[in-house]
Amino acid sequence: MLLGTARALGRAALVLTAVSVLVFLATAALPVDPARARTGGRGDVTALRAELGLDRPPWTRFAGWAGDLLRGDPGVSLVSGRPVTDLLAARLPATLALVAAAALVALPLLLAGGWAAGRRPRTAAPPLVAVAAVPQVVVATGLVAVFAGVLGWFPAVSFVPVSGSVWDRPEALVLPALALGVPAAAFGAGLLGGAVADALALPHVRAARVRGLPEPVVLLRHVLPDLGAPLLRVSGLVVAGMTASSALVETVFGYAGLGELLVGAVSTGDVPVVQAIALLSAVVVVVTSTAADLPAGTPLGRTPLGSTRSGSTR
Amino acid sequence: MSRTALALAAATALAAGCGSADDRGAPAAVPDTLRYVTAGAAASATDDPHGGILNQSDLARFALVYDVLAKPGADGGTELRLAESITPDAALTRWTVTLRPGATFTDGKPVTAADALFSLRRIHGKSAENFGRMTMFDLDASRVVDDSTVELVTTKPYAEVPRALESVTFVVPDGTTDFTRPVPGSGPFTQVEGTPEAAVLERNDGWWGPAPALRRVEVRAVIDPQARAQAVLTGQADVAIGVNPATAEQVKGNADYAVVHREAITLYPFVMRLDQAPFDDVRVREAIKLAADRDALVDKVFLGYGKAGGDLITPADPISPDLPARTRDVTRARALLAQAGHGGGLNLTLHTTTSYPGMDTAALLFAEQLREIGVTAEVETAPPDTYWTEVWGQQPFYVGFFGGIPFLDVARVSLLSDAPTNETGWKRPEWDAGFDAALATADPAERTKQLGQLQTALRDEGGYVVWGAGDGLDLVRAGVEGLPTGPGFESSFIERTRLTR
Repeated sequence: MLLGTARALGRAALVLTAVSVLVFLATAALPVDPARARTGGRGDVTALRAELGLDRPPWTRFAGWAGDLLRGDPGVSLVSGRPVTDLLAARLPATLALVAAAALVALPLLLAGGWAAGRRPRTAAPPLVAVAAVPQVVVATGLVAVFAGVLGWFPAVSFVPVSGSVWDRPEALVLPALALGVPAAAFGAGLLGGAVADALALPHVRAARVRGLPEPVVLLRHVLPDLGAPLLRVSGLVVAGMTASSALVETVFGYAGLGELLVGAVSTGDVPVVQAIALLSAVVVVVTSTAADLPAGTPLGRTPLGSTRSGSTR
Repeated sequence: MSRTALALAAATALAAGCGSADDRGAPAAVPDTLRYVTAGAAASATDDPHGGILNQSDLARFALVYDVLAKPGADGGTELRLAESITPDAALTRWTVTLRPGATFTDGKPVTAADALFSLRRIHGKSAENFGRMTMFDLDASRVVDDSTVELVTTKPYAEVPRALESVTFVVPDGTTDFTRPVPGSGPFTQVEGTPEAAVLERNDGWWGPAPALRRVEVRAVIDPQARAQAVLTGQADVAIGVNPATAEQVKGNADYAVVHREAITLYPFVMRLDQAPFDDVRVREAIKLAADRDALVDKVFLGYGKAGGDLITPADPISPDLPARTRDVTRARALLAQAGHGGGLNLTLHTTTSYPGMDTAALLFAEQLREIGVTAEVETAPPDTYWTEVWGQQPFYVGFFGGIPFLDVARVSLLSDAPTNETGWKRPEWDAGFDAALATADPAERTKQLGQLQTALRDEGGYVVWGAGDGLDLVRAGVEGLPTGPGFESSFIERTRLTR
């Protein structure tokens, strides 16, 4: 048990290190210069580059940043000079609210879609693939056109109230949550379909269906318990994916979350900010995937699928 | 105190939001909170008023919470703010700035000469970020005379010190270097909560000036002009600063909204580098300028919301001469090209980008117009991320950008031989000398005349095709009055804005 925890922690540390190195390399390769961004493009940036430490070799900069981070200091923005912790603290709640709302949309759809894909793969798969394949920006724009433009039910821009929290205006969350949740659910349902088909093939489930039990009862009483592990894994993947891909939806809706900040920080080469947001997303992915890998024997994972089920007749 | 006020405001807002309208049909109270949305990116939003201020939203916020020594007046003159007087010596190198009595910071301390000089020095220390706003001063030699008097020394005779001080001279308490936590200001408002990109400000009743009609201002940064417009159209904001011409067209004739025009402030000049062929020949430059059909460009790029230009680099600046737009002359342009040895045609690449709406349209349309004088211009569009670092200031022929900055600033940043970003390679010692001579001239009329001659020389021989200037367009809901309409920095001062319903 202890060994397992240590191993999981080690894996997580490895993943986060890899992410930070990759993000650093990618940001360093961008043809942008935070010093130039800071001057608005007009002015002598040589002195400023020295002041910001941008004239040092990349690995020195990376080591300095990583050392500070390990001491608990993620640094300051190269463009605005604001502490990264302030930037994240101001925007994290909004992104968490959006992902939570999107999860409320996505998880029931994921379950329904997965069920349909498992029962009738031939008919259910194409529409799922189609929905999953529509780019988010198209989904978002389409939602705005219909629900904000034609019907006027929801706002086309989703401002987080300047005083108070996003929950003071829940209607602002509806369209971004749909834009984020629907494609993610379709993608996840495609993955879940196979596991559902496996579960439906189990003898006790087949027996239940032969007995003529209503479908929802079969799903909830017999299939779900066996779906535990894959459902968790796919849900984790979907939620992590939504966290990582919130940038686009937030930008389209003018929603002040981490994603919107990330887009701006990438375009100015603001390494400390990009790193912090990327690592936060990575932490979400690591945590959800670790949780999904909970060992069998937990209440949710009676029989992990894919393991040999010799003699599992009930 | 402010927490109580906030709770009250929240309760009021809640009551209003719940539609608890007075059943007896009494008129609804006029709101006293202005929801103001303007351009700004979260990634560059800052709390430091002295560095590079990239966001309009930050500029507007600083103009509300801090005082400047002076600001551009709506009439084109200098409007004094913290400064009560700005007077030179005979040589125009020593200026005495007297502060108005009764100005205090929100912590109750009076604003002193030490605060003012400290702030100017701090701005100067960040020259690299604010393109050398204070470089005309020798701030080490400048000194505090007494509590309300600063003596500013200039490096050369400089008659336009009031204009130099009517920029971002935000005064903060002496010694302030950390802006991550709120800093006492002496402006008409004070920030009570929020972040740089979404801030709540409340009226500062201790301010020395006429009391603003607004009790609260919410300043929000939104990067996309379309989203800013949507904010007003969906009732989430009262003012959207900087919307697209298409939005102005959309609300035409709709009584619920109004469009406020800030005249002729957006420039997308075609930039030619004087140090690269073929633009090292003045005849080629003149031919290119004569090729432009300026009215067509203004119609297509700004949908008519603007004015055709005559190659003056700052048409909206009150010290710029009033010269007519240049008329297209294809015949003369062809003749000039033939004299310059390009009678058989000329192939060019015109670079552009999509940073600002219409930059790409401008290049495509101009390429068509150039064809008629025998120039084949291939348009290359670079993404905004790389354009300003790899094309701007380097390629010989591209679309540039200016947004309502005054001539003296353009000269310092882009035209003098030692300018940090001399994008056209306009390096002329005699022009520099003329600039110094003009600024050493005490008589305003004579000085303006000399500065006008410098601008005319640039119009005739320089590398900027200033074909027109687009209006700044602000979308407001009906009932918003008194929004500033001046060029540049003046439009950031919104403390006199009021709501009538």
